[in-house]
Amino acid sequence: MTAGSARVRILVADDDPVAARFMATLLGEKGYEVLVAADGEHAFEIATRLKPDLIVSDLVMPYRDGFDIIQAIRNHESLTGVPIVIVSMKDREEDIVRGLETGADDYVVKPFNARELLARVRKLLARGGGRG
Amino acid sequence: MYGVLTAAILSIGGTFLFLTFAIVANKAWREARESWGRARRRALEPKILSYAHGEDRSLLPALGGRLRRRDRRVVEEILLDHAQRVRGVERERLGRAIDELGYVDGYLAGLGSRRWWRRADSAERLGIAGADRATNRLVRVLSDPEPEVRIRAAKALGLVGGKAAIGPLIHALSEPNRWSTIRIADILAGMKQEVVNELVAEFDRMNTHAKLAALDILGRIRSLSVVGWLRQRLSDPERDVRARACHALGAIGDPDCGPVLQKALSDPEWPVKAMAAKALGRIRHFPAIPELSGAMRDKEWWVRANAAEAMRLMGPKGTEALERMLDDRDIYARHQAVLMLEESGVLDRQVDLLWRSDGPEREAAESLIRRFVRVGQMGRLRELLETHPDVRVREALAGMLGLAVQQAGGGR
Repeated sequence: MTAGSARVRILVADDDPVAARFMATLLGEKGYEVLVAADGEHAFEIATRLKPDLIVSDLVMPYRDGFDIIQAIRNHESLTGVPIVIVSMKDREEDIVRGLETGADDYVVKPFNARELLARVRKLLARGGGRG
Repeated sequence: MYGVLTAAILSIGGTFLFLTFAIVANKAWREARESWGRARRRALEPKILSYAHGEDRSLLPALGGRLRRRDRRVVEEILLDHAQRVRGVERERLGRAIDELGYVDGYLAGLGSRRWWRRADSAERLGIAGADRATNRLVRVLSDPEPEVRIRAAKALGLVGGKAAIGPLIHALSEPNRWSTIRIADILAGMKQEVVNELVAEFDRMNTHAKLAALDILGRIRSLSVVGWLRQRLSDPERDVRARACHALGAIGDPDCGPVLQKALSDPEWPVKAMAAKALGRIRHFPAIPELSGAMRDKEWWVRANAAEAMRLMGPKGTEALERMLDDRDIYARHQAVLMLEESGVLDRQVDLLWRSDGPEREAAESLIRRFVRVGQMGRLRELLETHPDVRVREALAGMLGLAVQQAGGGR
């Protein structure tokens, strides 16, 4: 699955509209179809309805936080294998470990490096979406 | 008389009417301006982000060759908003655009403003822009009479980074205001490896206050390269320096430091012993268990508490030692052992085993509980007596506590 072929669908979940727009533009320019959700509840609803190929999610969001969303996605029959990248301001070791243990495939700390985020997204998509 | 009254009513009414009109007009104008701003943002933001993600040397072509006066504020807002959320090449490109469009010059001028909030705001924006050409000016602002301006300048220097910013920030650690030192230490710790060598080089020239902050920063950065240097600080003449060096070594977590920290447990000063104990727990240095057991009898509460906590952190080996301490001759050591065994869940797990009618596990559980009772610390046991979900456990516990209370009362 590449950005150039069938449009890869990525869900960006972040309650910070500036960060969400930045990521959406970044990914959109690389040919991905980007869906944006401003809170956890909305993110889960979009994910179940539109089945993204990858999810980029913040941790601190209204209604449902990122940990909760990851857990719900991992427990959802049709979403369980969708790769998830956390992009969060939380940079403490225990948050990163918790994020990865909850089921995220990768963790990027804000402020983030756009190229690094893109590389991680590409790598996870190239892995075929499986969680190993 | 009637005419004067009418004129007064009319003038008051007119004034109210005028004020109402002015308020409504002002609100409408502001809303229109905000709506226009949002529309301009929607139009300009994708262009600016394309520039940020792209290769163009200048943002101006994306803006149609020039920055319109009316768009200055919106463009500035977009650039600053995104510059503080990214790092790497994108941040550099956004920073370059902020400079190219003349905003940096404006902020530099703002640093000289008579209004402190403008100086603070300008310093902050220079940091977000990563304007390295502002480093010298920001350094000068570190001596601004207003504390908020100094802190924002320090934060900006942290964001700008580079060798030129590090020296003045380290110097600012000596600020007499402890709050400022904490904030500056946070900034330096955030700069990570970049500041390590400079902190070490400047250490001897610092006052004690700054030295302690520097040791904390090194511990937070967790650089293995300074472990040897930190070990030398364990023989510093100042006790607080020795104590913080122990703390930093524990934070870095190099297991090879176990023997020197073990030695620091016999330092004549209690803060050093307390920090050495804490560090030994963090690096799980098992050979120090006998010395830590001894430290649990220290006359200083901090030393006793940290030694017990260290043994708790050491897992099963530490727990075994804590259980042995329940029979220690020193009452304070026994109390610390009780606290840690409760905190680590050992007591609860042993109480859970009371459902068994016999066997070695039941015997071990009973033995531990009786030792708790002998120490006279039964708060948690009484709680479990009331709350444990298994009635067999509650009954066994009730029997043991009843018998034991009498024994404890007679024995001590």
